[in-house]
Amino acid sequence: MGPLAVDLLGKTLKNPIMNASGTLGYGIEIEPLWNINTMGAYVTKGLSEKPHHGNKTPRVWEERYGMINSIGLQNVGVDYFFSHYFPFFEERKLPVMVNFFGFSEDEYISCARKIPSHDLIVALEMNLSCPNIKKGGISFGKDAPAVHAIVRAVREATAIPLIAKLTPEVNNIVEIARAAYEGGADGLTLINTMPAATIDTKNRNMPLKGGLSGPILKPIALRAVYECYKEIPIPIIGTGGIMNVEDALAFFMAGARAIEIGTATFVDPFTMPKIIAGLNSWLKENDCASITAITGITHD
Amino acid sequence: MMDDIPGKIVENSSIISGYHRLTIRLERPLGNVTPGQFVMLKVPDHEIFLRRPFSIYDARLTTLTIMYRVVGKGTEALSRAQKKAPVMVLGPLGHGFTIPDKGACLVIAGGIGVAGVRMLLKNLGKKATLFVGMNGKSELSLLSELKDVEVMAATLDGSHGFHGNVISMFSEHFASYRMKDPRIFACGPQGMIVSLKRFLEPEKVPCQVSIEERMACGMGLCFGCVAETKDKINPFKRVCKEGPVFSLWDLSL
Repeated sequence: MGPLAVDLLGKTLKNPIMNASGTLGYGIEIEPLWNINTMGAYVTKGLSEKPHHGNKTPRVWEERYGMINSIGLQNVGVDYFFSHYFPFFEERKLPVMVNFFGFSEDEYISCARKIPSHDLIVALEMNLSCPNIKKGGISFGKDAPAVHAIVRAVREATAIPLIAKLTPEVNNIVEIARAAYEGGADGLTLINTMPAATIDTKNRNMPLKGGLSGPILKPIALRAVYECYKEIPIPIIGTGGIMNVEDALAFFMAGARAIEIGTATFVDPFTMPKIIAGLNSWLKENDCASITAITGITHD
Repeated sequence: MMDDIPGKIVENSSIISGYHRLTIRLERPLGNVTPGQFVMLKVPDHEIFLRRPFSIYDARLTTLTIMYRVVGKGTEALSRAQKKAPVMVLGPLGHGFTIPDKGACLVIAGGIGVAGVRMLLKNLGKKATLFVGMNGKSELSLLSELKDVEVMAATLDGSHGFHGNVISMFSEHFASYRMKDPRIFACGPQGMIVSLKRFLEPEKVPCQVSIEERMACGMGLCFGCVAETKDKINPFKRVCKEGPVFSLWDLSL
């Protein structure tokens, strides 16, 4: 293993670069451009117990320095993913983090139970930004007791390490992170997209409400990583607006064990391999033996 | 094979007001293009964040040509781009037209939709008849580079050819092709596609349509650009990956 290798929840990843869920399709789509084995691990599109068709268009809208999306969690369902797409990762021996969601506690639990233990599965990444249908559509992730309860329920349903992916739309993200940790989460992904809307002034309407992503989100994500690293003793995966090596370094220095690249791939599909190569060069130039030497260095 | 290729703008000129022709010199040749495929172009402007999809108007070795209409901030910024400005071109992308080996090829284009069928017309040569709809006579200059193609034009203002929309004109002519095993290809605004479907519905003539949608990645990663199809299990297909060319009869319009 090289200088970019990191330990994540008992597994060694050859580098700490992953995609953010839903920004690299089912993985196979990137293969015409670069070998998916370049990355440390692949994060699945958000999977649910049953398939979801998603929203009508428009689903995406550009903003200055970012974009808004409302895909509506379209996915083939967890069973189909494992029968049709997972063999692609098995052939390549690429570690996988399985992102999943539900619209009720029962759906989270039954989805988590369907995900098999496998050497290549690093963790389950639990999307906590979903609306809870039984609680009038309030997101699971906005309230500390609710986060504690849902994480605990899923924790009891599976033996696979569990990562909670948190929404930034909360009063105090450290409090939410603590609730996830105390509920049994083994790690945190910080952060999901930020709720946002766009207005079309020409047509005087609001074409799209959805999640804001892209470089506009980076400082918000960095603060979440920085604050949670100080307080919560579990690994953090940082994500939000990472466009280049400089951004990636900032997340590691703030305390991220690994990072996820999302919207940047749409702007430049080679962002991930470029960041991996760039981090290797940076470590050499800075006489740094390992990326772990700078993890959380801003807190020293 | 898909590639992300650096290039420079060689020419970016206005054809008529609101329509432009962009020529790019690429550092490497674009892979083999199937008519109906597109590229994702990084517009040389700091305010434009995502790439924009454009039909391939022409591609010869390292020269790529795009014809576009200014419709939003991306194309507006592109229309201001100067010669020598650097761009990135990802492509060729998507599922293009399937070229039939028999039958009469009837190609329908509405407005800038003509850019989306240019490669197809080149490929079909004399086998094709083009039915084109424009707002007025001046827009017919978008057709100046089409050679060897029989063109039937309709204008909404009646300034040239048939007075009315292209589907009305097409429906008047279609009878004479009915016995010639017609194959239809179309690219144009949603309203045109819907009218065409309504007209062809009783006979379900083979018809491939190229459709448009807002895109983020252009290569099937984000599921941002979907079209609703009649597939019951998985109705939303990606326009950038399973499209942009679909069978008209698979779409829910």
